[in-house]
Amino acid sequence: MIKPSLCAALALILAGCASDPAPSEQLRLTEQTLTQVRALNISAEQSSGLKLAEEKFAAAQTAMTQGKHREARMLAEQAELDARLAEAEQMHHASQEQLHVLQGNIQQLRKQLGALQ
Amino acid sequence: MNKWFFAPMLLLGLSGCSNLSSNDQQLLGEAQASFNRIKNDADILRAAPKDVVRASESLARAERLTSYWGSAEDVQHYAYLSLRYGEIAQQQSLTLLNQERQAQLELERQRLQLTLREAKLLSVQQQTAWLAEQMAMLQGVEGERGLVMTLGDVLFEVGEADLLPAANRTLLQVAHFLQLNPRRKVRIEGYTDNTGSADFNLELSRARAQSVADFLQDLGIAAERVEVVGHGIDFPVAENASARGRAQNRRVEIVFSDEQGRLSAER
Repeated sequence: MIKPSLCAALALILAGCASDPAPSEQLRLTEQTLTQVRALNISAEQSSGLKLAEEKFAAAQTAMTQGKHREARMLAEQAELDARLAEAEQMHHASQEQLHVLQGNIQQLRKQLGALQ
Repeated sequence: MNKWFFAPMLLLGLSGCSNLSSNDQQLLGEAQASFNRIKNDADILRAAPKDVVRASESLARAERLTSYWGSAEDVQHYAYLSLRYGEIAQQQSLTLLNQERQAQLELERQRLQLTLREAKLLSVQQQTAWLAEQMAMLQGVEGERGLVMTLGDVLFEVGEADLLPAANRTLLQVAHFLQLNPRRKVRIEGYTDNTGSADFNLELSRARAQSVADFLQDLGIAAERVEVVGHGIDFPVAENASARGRAQNRRVEIVFSDEQGRLSAER
């Protein structure tokens, strides 16, 4: 009774690279994410992450035209997350700045109050 | 079909781990360590539950693939994705914490602005007159607990601990008084009526007293000079039977120390 499962396992192992479907949906998703992140006006510190994402996406597109579907999918998946991380870092950076401005305001107000008393 | 034919293949397939280069092992190890860190971080789970789940799924996939022959690239890929999901979740959590802090500070800023406006409105003469009056008033109610000033229920949001703007003027003057009398301390005591559970009232009375203390601290009164205590439904000053009596019982009392900074004993 072991045989069928062995065959299946073997088939899985051998199937590997040959039958990967074209990852068009993933490429579309990655491109959409990239468009969204580019629009964010990313600051210099976070731009390296975005650059990495752009490079991987370009490589994914090349791999796609060469029919290397598996490689294209992996690159596109990674590019999507690289872009999303750049976006999340940018949001964090922006929230940090807003916090600093607010803290400055409060300090200013305290100073003014202190001067009045 | 001879099943012995498959045995070597199976062995190869199972020996997966040894197919991974030390580089791949390292990335997988990093992904595992990263996931262990984030899965126990309540803020991250709250801020980005979906990305934590995806980090977990990708990691599980990477781990599963280590047992298949020729899957090193996939292992590395899913470990990479897991790491990225974890980093994204971490950043989102930091952003959320910043946003929450910002909301708090925004309230503080508004309160300070109001107070500042109030302070500017009061001329020097008004302040001097008020202080003289307060001192007279305070001495008037000096009993065994020392000088006691009562802040009525109307200075708070109904059923909440937040101070209304109407409290600004009085508390600004209390802060001013404490600045002019740097050795004096205060104990801020919260009280409620007997409506609702004792626990809720105890917490509410404490929170209201804390609001007053926070306000004074915002105006530069050192925290060491301000004690906070909640008494809940204890020590009513009027009958709880009537609405008027209950309103009188809902109050915050500021007990002032003597000029040497000695406070009366706590109730």
